[in-house]
Amino acid sequence: MGPLDGVTVVDFTSHLAGPYATKLMADLGARVVKVERPGGDRTRWAKPFLDDRPGIERSGTFQYLNTNKESLVLDLRREGAGDVLLALLQGADLVVSSFTPRQAEHLGMTYEAIRAIADRSMLWITNFGLAGPYRDYSMSDTTLFAMGGEMFSTGLADREPLKYGGTAALLQCGAIASVAGLGAIHAWELHDAAQLVEAPLFNGQLNNVDRRSAAILAFRFSGRIQERPPGPGSGLAGGVYEVADGYVEVTAAGGNYWQRFVAMIDDDALRDPIFASPAAVAIPEAKERCDAVVYPWMLTHTRADIWKKARKVHAMVAPLYDAVDLFNDQNLRDRGFWTEIEHGESGTLPMIGRPYILSETPWEIRRPAPRLGEHTDAILSELGFENQAIASLRADGVVA
Amino acid sequence: MRAQNLPLSDITICDFTAVWAGQTVTMYLADLGANCIKVENPYIWNPMTRAASPRLDEKSANLIAPWMGGHPGSDPGPRPWNNSPAFIHVQRNKKSFTVDSRRPEGLEVVKNLIRKSNLIADNLALGTLARLGLSDDAIRAIRPDIVILHLPAFGLSGQYIEGRGYGAHIDAVAGSTILRGYADSSPVTNTQIFAGDYFAGLHGAVAALAALRHQRKTGQGQVIELAQLEASAQMFPQAALDGAWNGRAASSIGNRSIEGFVPNGVFPCSGTDRWIAISCRDDAEWAALREFMDNPRWATDPELVTAGGRAAAEDEIEARLREFTANRDRDQLFRSLQEVGVTAGPVLNNADVCNDPHLAATGAFRPLPATEDYPAVEWLNPAYRFSESDVGIRSEPALFGQHNDYVYRELLGYNDAEVEEYRRLGHIADRYDDAVINA
Repeated sequence: MGPLDGVTVVDFTSHLAGPYATKLMADLGARVVKVERPGGDRTRWAKPFLDDRPGIERSGTFQYLNTNKESLVLDLRREGAGDVLLALLQGADLVVSSFTPRQAEHLGMTYEAIRAIADRSMLWITNFGLAGPYRDYSMSDTTLFAMGGEMFSTGLADREPLKYGGTAALLQCGAIASVAGLGAIHAWELHDAAQLVEAPLFNGQLNNVDRRSAAILAFRFSGRIQERPPGPGSGLAGGVYEVADGYVEVTAAGGNYWQRFVAMIDDDALRDPIFASPAAVAIPEAKERCDAVVYPWMLTHTRADIWKKARKVHAMVAPLYDAVDLFNDQNLRDRGFWTEIEHGESGTLPMIGRPYILSETPWEIRRPAPRLGEHTDAILSELGFENQAIASLRADGVVA
Repeated sequence: MRAQNLPLSDITICDFTAVWAGQTVTMYLADLGANCIKVENPYIWNPMTRAASPRLDEKSANLIAPWMGGHPGSDPGPRPWNNSPAFIHVQRNKKSFTVDSRRPEGLEVVKNLIRKSNLIADNLALGTLARLGLSDDAIRAIRPDIVILHLPAFGLSGQYIEGRGYGAHIDAVAGSTILRGYADSSPVTNTQIFAGDYFAGLHGAVAALAALRHQRKTGQGQVIELAQLEASAQMFPQAALDGAWNGRAASSIGNRSIEGFVPNGVFPCSGTDRWIAISCRDDAEWAALREFMDNPRWATDPELVTAGGRAAAEDEIEARLREFTANRDRDQLFRSLQEVGVTAGPVLNNADVCNDPHLAATGAFRPLPATEDYPAVEWLNPAYRFSESDVGIRSEPALFGQHNDYVYRELLGYNDAEVEEYRRLGHIADRYDDAVINA
């Protein structure tokens, strides 16, 4: 039994941020009914595909984001959708949506419309909120990261600003929306308070503690602008180093961290008192002498060897992993970071496992991501629709 | 006015968190209404928790990057721990009290606080709480139904248990660092960012919110272990599953899209260091962009109608787009492109964000009054808005030791004589001890 056992979420979200918000709930025991439009969530068409062969049940992105959910296909534009919507909303503890304000108006899915049907809380994940000059603007992971304030200071001073890998910005905002949604569930269960909780992606990025919210306050305080640095690293040693079989990240600035770094390299040349002084950074000759020891050392050691030595002396050094490293890492496997799903069409597949370990109410995969419309009939029956009514809804294209 | 609807109005937190991941977990929970009591020790400087250093002059502060060194008026003053932009904003809605938990009578105070707490949150260096006499078992002996949240960097078991790291090192192992950077350079040119802290902190809040619900329903507590690495590695599922399923190890593609959007990138605008991000998320957006550019000959090649065709000519398209955007005003171009249906966004710096018209119009910021340690400025509100619960900045960021009176007297019920004794013994303080400041 998960800690969110007994919570029912009716989930109208699609793409990345919304489904990540509800995945976090589903994996902790909430029942999440994923209401898909005809044709399904567009993420069913997102790379990577199993064996690189596209197919709506083969997307790794979709499989990851929709574990433990049930799928019901509903065409909100059709007459007759209202009865299904009513029944769904009446059983919900939380409604989650990611329609744009315009789509919501068109589909009758604004919060006013939802409340007129059932007095429930709604978490509404939007690009820019429900008001203001950017309300109807569109967004991508890249434009979100750009406007969030961190891109400007990422990369090198003489080149263009850089984004993050993957779709990190959208998933970050999905996680913050999940926090908001769980807050709504607490308020609903504790105070019977039905309400609208808005989680604009733009605000989610700005609130990222990753230098953004801090840099914004820094500007208010000091007028200083957070810029891209002229080069990587800082101090006598620091930043990403090439090693025998890849790269490692190093932090060695500051007294204690420098001492641990020196203990890791274990070369008396670095124990020269000149290096221990904070002023050493400003002495070009000191930096050259340090590099002359550190670079060859790095290039003659492997990532695993370096990390092992670093851990022993608590040096702030760690290897750069790629996806295959992450998958093959025995320690992560032993700890249970990787798990498996039983996929109806494709058999047993590896899946990214739990982000946390709960001792009494464990994170758990109860079922893989649903096939499109896999649970339409079962859910409708449960909601009291007779077989004939379901058949007629299908015939009319209301459900699928 | 609506404080009765706070989602966590019945929750008290004993907060032993440090740095960002931990301190943001408790910030989210405090924003949602938990009574979050920050445990601080006047005799111990916790690195990266309240400022870069307990003694910081103006010159040094200005040598530190703005997010960390941008203290008010560039002068940290005598109490840098109360005005570091990196850390003061995560203290909103919290209460701060001081105690030296290493001494028996100090530990008693902490135990009394634990007795009143639903959650204890910790990301001090591994083993610190246990050394204080606060192992999980000891904590549960005091309060059997408590939720204990640990946020170690690499986990509480396995080979990496002794590993130490900040966000940058967690990002490295999580597979984040190798996925970013200029596509034509090696990761050696990467500059550090620390999204791992943020993402791990959000996951800590999710796990705690779920466990607190379970506690309220059933009376059962539990221990949550959140290895920041394992939460952070969830940020790149596309790459991770391409590795697990297809054996592919993705590397950086710069500002291009893994979602097949072409073009997708960052382009220069008029002025100094001004940029715009543009994404054509489908063929219709590309057609709109082409039209917006007045259908230049290079863009009307029929091959470019589909994303696949554009991908084959991506270098060329990006070069032409750079020429197109280079003499245009960033903000005008952003608004104009959006009006014709092209996804675009200005690359905002921290000053731009403070002047953004949309943020101003939608109440993203709110003023807080000055204190002795910082001036009256506008602070960023939480990222979400609740229509019926007063989720927001209800009380200003907690200064060091600001709530000693509340915690010792009101919450824990110590009388005047006892409080006086704790003050005399140096537990109750409103600043760090001189030995810490002068270390």
